[in-house]
Amino acid sequence: MSTKPIGSVLVAGGGIAAIQAALDLADSGFYVYMVEPSPAIGGVMAQLDKTFPTNDCSMCIMSPKLVEVGRHINIELITLAQIRDIQGQKGNFKVDLFQKARYVDPDKCVACGACVEKCPKKVTDLYNVGLAKRKAIYVPYAQAVPLKFCIDPENCIKLTKDKCGNCAKVCPAGAVNYEDTDKEFTLNVGAVILAPGFKAFHPKDSDVYGWHTSKDIVTSLEFERLLSASGPNKGHVVRMSDHEKPKALAWLQCVGSRDINRCDNAHCSSVCCMYAIKQAIIAKEHDPDLDCTIFYMDMRTHGKGFEACFNEAKEKHGIRFVRCRVHSVFQAPDKKIQTISYLDEKNGQVTNEDFDLVVLSVGMEINSETKHFALDMGIELTKNGFCKTFAFAPTSTSREGIFVCGAFQGPKDIPQSVIEAGAAALSAGAAISDARGSLVKTVEQPKENDVTGDVPRIGVFVCHCGINIGGVVDVPAVRDFARTLPFVEYADDNLYSCSQDAQEVISGIIREKDLNRIVVAACSPRTHEPLFQETLAAAGLNKYLFEMVNIRNHNSWVHKDDPESATAKAMESVAMAVSKVALFSPLKEETLSIDKGLLVVGGGISGMTSALSMADQGYRVSLVEKEDRLGGNALSIYKTASGTLVRPALEALSTRVTNHPNIDLYLSAQLSKVNGFVGNFDTTILSDKGVRTQIRHGAALIATGATEHKPDEYAYGQHPAILTGLQLDQQLMEDGPRLKEANTAVFIQCVGSREPHRPYCSRICCTHSVSSAIHLKQQNPEMNVFILYRDIRTYGEKENLYQRARELGVIFIRFAAEDKPEVRVTDGAITVQVTDHVLQKPVIMDTDLVVLASAALAAGDDTLAKMFKVPRDSDGFFAEAHVKLAPANFAVDGVFLAGLAHYPKPIDESIAQAQAAAAGVCRLFAKTEIKTLGNTAHVEHSKCSSCGVCVTVCPYNAPAILEEGKDAGKADINPVLCKGCGVCVSSCRSGAAGLAGFEEEQIMSMIEPIGFDHVM
Amino acid sequence: MLDRLRISYKNNGLREQLQALIPDGNLSACLTCGSCASGCPATGLHDMDPRKFIRMAVFGMDEELERHPWVWACTMCKRCYDACPMSINIPALTFYLRSQWPREERPKGILGSCDHHLRSRGGAMGVPLEDFQFTVEDLAEECREEQEGFEALEVSVDREGAYFALNQNSREPVTEPDELLPLWKILHKAGADWTYYSDYWGGENYCMFLADDDSWEKIVRAQAEHIDRLGCKVFINTECGHSFFAVWEGLRKFNIPHNFEFKSIIQYYAQWIREGKLPVNADWNKDGIKFTVQDPCNIIRKSIGNPMAEDLRYVVKQVVGEENFVDMAPNKSNNFCCGGGGGALQSGYNDERRTYGQTKFDQIMATGAKYVITPCHNCHAQIEDLAHHHQADYHTVHLWTLICLSMGMLGENERTYLGPDLAEYGL
Repeated sequence: MSTKPIGSVLVAGGGIAAIQAALDLADSGFYVYMVEPSPAIGGVMAQLDKTFPTNDCSMCIMSPKLVEVGRHINIELITLAQIRDIQGQKGNFKVDLFQKARYVDPDKCVACGACVEKCPKKVTDLYNVGLAKRKAIYVPYAQAVPLKFCIDPENCIKLTKDKCGNCAKVCPAGAVNYEDTDKEFTLNVGAVILAPGFKAFHPKDSDVYGWHTSKDIVTSLEFERLLSASGPNKGHVVRMSDHEKPKALAWLQCVGSRDINRCDNAHCSSVCCMYAIKQAIIAKEHDPDLDCTIFYMDMRTHGKGFEACFNEAKEKHGIRFVRCRVHSVFQAPDKKIQTISYLDEKNGQVTNEDFDLVVLSVGMEINSETKHFALDMGIELTKNGFCKTFAFAPTSTSREGIFVCGAFQGPKDIPQSVIEAGAAALSAGAAISDARGSLVKTVEQPKENDVTGDVPRIGVFVCHCGINIGGVVDVPAVRDFARTLPFVEYADDNLYSCSQDAQEVISGIIREKDLNRIVVAACSPRTHEPLFQETLAAAGLNKYLFEMVNIRNHNSWVHKDDPESATAKAMESVAMAVSKVALFSPLKEETLSIDKGLLVVGGGISGMTSALSMADQGYRVSLVEKEDRLGGNALSIYKTASGTLVRPALEALSTRVTNHPNIDLYLSAQLSKVNGFVGNFDTTILSDKGVRTQIRHGAALIATGATEHKPDEYAYGQHPAILTGLQLDQQLMEDGPRLKEANTAVFIQCVGSREPHRPYCSRICCTHSVSSAIHLKQQNPEMNVFILYRDIRTYGEKENLYQRARELGVIFIRFAAEDKPEVRVTDGAITVQVTDHVLQKPVIMDTDLVVLASAALAAGDDTLAKMFKVPRDSDGFFAEAHVKLAPANFAVDGVFLAGLAHYPKPIDESIAQAQAAAAGVCRLFAKTEIKTLGNTAHVEHSKCSSCGVCVTVCPYNAPAILEEGKDAGKADINPVLCKGCGVCVSSCRSGAAGLAGFEEEQIMSMIEPIGFDHVM
Repeated sequence: MLDRLRISYKNNGLREQLQALIPDGNLSACLTCGSCASGCPATGLHDMDPRKFIRMAVFGMDEELERHPWVWACTMCKRCYDACPMSINIPALTFYLRSQWPREERPKGILGSCDHHLRSRGGAMGVPLEDFQFTVEDLAEECREEQEGFEALEVSVDREGAYFALNQNSREPVTEPDELLPLWKILHKAGADWTYYSDYWGGENYCMFLADDDSWEKIVRAQAEHIDRLGCKVFINTECGHSFFAVWEGLRKFNIPHNFEFKSIIQYYAQWIREGKLPVNADWNKDGIKFTVQDPCNIIRKSIGNPMAEDLRYVVKQVVGEENFVDMAPNKSNNFCCGGGGGALQSGYNDERRTYGQTKFDQIMATGAKYVITPCHNCHAQIEDLAHHHQADYHTVHLWTLICLSMGMLGENERTYLGPDLAEYGL
């Protein structure tokens, strides 16, 4: 056997985690086989209506990624396939696959849908979780990738009874093949990533949930489909039993989670609290008169922006939160109403309330086939059935060379899945880094046709966006109108212009009709412009000869009550774009080299992890740490949640970083100046001793951590036994006598977090306190340990710790923000008083130890943010490019983000994010060159009055005053730094600055077709 | 309760004891989620609920729990245990605390019933065996003579080799002997080979409610030994909930050896109807009189579960007509306890019992049914009492009454619980 690893990776799964891992690997020099058991990728995210906390349309943000996978030259999509066996070891695995017959030749199918119309067999539609019917020949959903039909062999009349055969008769492409057979084959890969996802808990015929007794008791996944515009109700919230408008909706939390009685799911599913809030907000947006109530135990809004969303749900949207896990749901015999009884803990009485619709917030579990498969493959599972990983290797399974990400690793939300996907991709890539580039294919972009000076021949494509646009705007009318506009040679409409087949259609039409300008009237250019530009490039057209009109967000969504005016507006918008695009000329992108060095700012666990991730793969890394030693906050932490001692692992990391030949370490140093841009940064490092070092690097990674809040309440500072969480860890590490002698310990949660002036949840403190409490109880089982909390947020499998702590006798007392515990120090003795939430009586504890679970604060000021021109959020944490899908990088190219600088998080998540950020750096460094934007600003020197306003206003440092040459003293814009925002253009008082793609005559031409009256 | 709870360093006696005694008794695991209290009809009685009860144990408030009257308000119906996400056996706490009361201080009604049972080796009403035998023989003779088609009716006590051994709740022989007949006639029609047994023949077990394990065990053990001596294959429990549970749980809990199968008469009703041995029909219910059914906690949620509930519904629907059956909500294993169980009818806390029963009463009224079928003596007594208390217009009947009515064999004196609409039917 050859010692050189195989340069390909198999990614098992097709959800968002698998997609992100595949893209990260395929873009960093590895060939990827993506193996998905269903006919199309997309996973559960493709079924969701919106995503929390921003309520972005799930399909809209996901679709570009689906398309990217579908058209990626280094990703081979193997659908309807499952892994049968994995043999071999890291670097050289043999993976046996079983692929079910599709009965439709994907190379021939054009997804026209003629077959579906003629198929007589109706089948339960799993994409709509059984709420609708599909045909026996189908695509799972409209935006599916690959957009190729397939036949459900269990239901097809031809395949089961040898009758019918309609689909083959009507298929214009001759793609239907009833003789297709299942296949077995073997792939050789260097590494494997498992991302099989989760199964939603199903309540079935449980008496307590009553799902089987009423159509008006639905699971949250069913409700998600009911909310969705592409769902069975086209997004209208109705009672399923009679399609009447509901008045009162209830959500029941923890259905199939935190329950070892009705199911075997002791874990918390991490996502249900947020999705319930999201669903309630969306339902209220659909109909503000709805009464929405969420019944819950602990509201777990522990993620970035989650607590704000929770507060907004209460305060702005009037959603009612009732803290009670209700016993059961049942129906009154004569009414279509579900009755819920709950305990009002203030008065101790049971209240009965009726609801039209009850949503069961179902949790995540791993299906038994996945569990069996994993065990057969020698992969260990946790007691909850998730894949076992390690605090310091969060995506490594127990079998070397096989990695895991997404919900199989543990219950988690989309951003955490995306982060882990990056981490798994990085780890898989690192495992076979010697083979990087050995199996990848490259694609030759077709030569660009020079259309300069040609008469405009404009193509217009109008998108229905399912019913998002088509349900309001008369799309065919807009299309017909477009055909009448000057220079328009061709106009058509698409159900989803962003779908993969639509790209092929558009590109074909560009060639066929010899089009040289394209307008797409669809959704937001922010998410979809790059996709269409790529399509233009594939057709040999300069990608800047393109204009996108947003007739969804700016039109159909906001004018849904006035379809006529909306249609008129869409026509005008298209006319404006057509006028503008006619004046476009091809733009050129500058090509830049990439310096393959990484600067890491921050020497904590995140910084060290990302530094090693890159250095191990042969890249040069400079690591800057302001303290005189590596380690950061981890130096003060005793154990991880999983019980791993931090110190030894931390020392191993520090030693490797210190001794690594590819890492230049700058301790007691900070950045003093950052120049340059992606691929070509020029940074000055200033040591405490005043030594300046200038380095060049292609990318930067910010991992500057966080600090612990110094409490200003609960008698902190009045007694040496009143400690913060980290101070307790210090005592634990020192095995201090105070702990040994303590008979009672009281932890107080949310110290400095979830307060009006600091509204976010610090995420880590609940788990930390619970772990510490367990430790104290294990050391001294006789000790009285109390945790005073507002909501216990031991999300995911950390819930096991909470259960363990209770079983060991730790007593948890909940307090309200307006009725906090009181800590009193009298003659050296400490007492804590709090009102018990169950007995509704004051409890007084004489205690030897008080531990304040203090907030994690964003570190430092905005000096670093300004240097790199990256934003921070209102809580002071750095703001990532996209909360869901780009959680480890900034909007500024070449700058990445990891660890507590992004948001408080535990060690395993920090490591995952550091690796994900490194995966992003790998993607960048795998390129030989990068291209700048074409539509950048420029200055006509002759008109420039040298006022310098552009230099002041630019957020990206792009303009500068020329210091030499014939135009010295005039402003000039570095196209590499320019993001094309146009702020300099609008500020320029001499009319010297212009922006390619937004030139004055282009803008004026847009106004012309609608008349100046409209805009004045 | 104390106004404030001061916790100093000390041990938790009760919490630890219960954990040691019962595998699913780790009260500390409580999430304080509220599902128990939100589903408990006893919530609020004595300002208490199951969640507070556990909480007090967790806090080590043993002294306050030791004589808390709520243990007699809780019927140990296990509805809390059924939904508890941590699977905490809350009724076990009630049972344990009942057992910690000095025996003589436990409610007199329950205590007396247990002692009568033990002393008489008969039933909870203390009736001597001779009286029982006399009543049975006399009544059987009367039936053979007066009721057409039952000339060959056989009723025996301690007949060796009978296939079925049947227990008999004391209430009928002592206070309403005519109510014995319908069941006998059903057994006769079905051709069942059955006998009563003499030792502890009473189909009740107040010692269980008294939380007197020794006495509970003594009764069940004696019954089991005696039935095995008779060589019966099946021990049938009459239409009674707690007596079913006392035997079903007693055999298991005390590990009592036995050679018979233990079943509820309802299972046989269903079987015999399916087999055509009991040709019931609903033709008599031409006026569409509506019926609902009470699922006794002891034979459904606490033991056999929904299969028993389905058998029960099958029998009811066959007898009253499917369209005339209205289910309560919730029902089957999720049904509310009526409030008569757990010894509540004998405990003396009548106001609490009726407040507890409010939930059941509301459920019944929501069905609009004229009749509540109660295949359990405690349910029957409680639901009937609720009707009197609220002056409600429904009637409470045993299944045997309706089966006989449906088969045209309900005698004139066997109609105490029927309303005027059916009092004359089929005579």
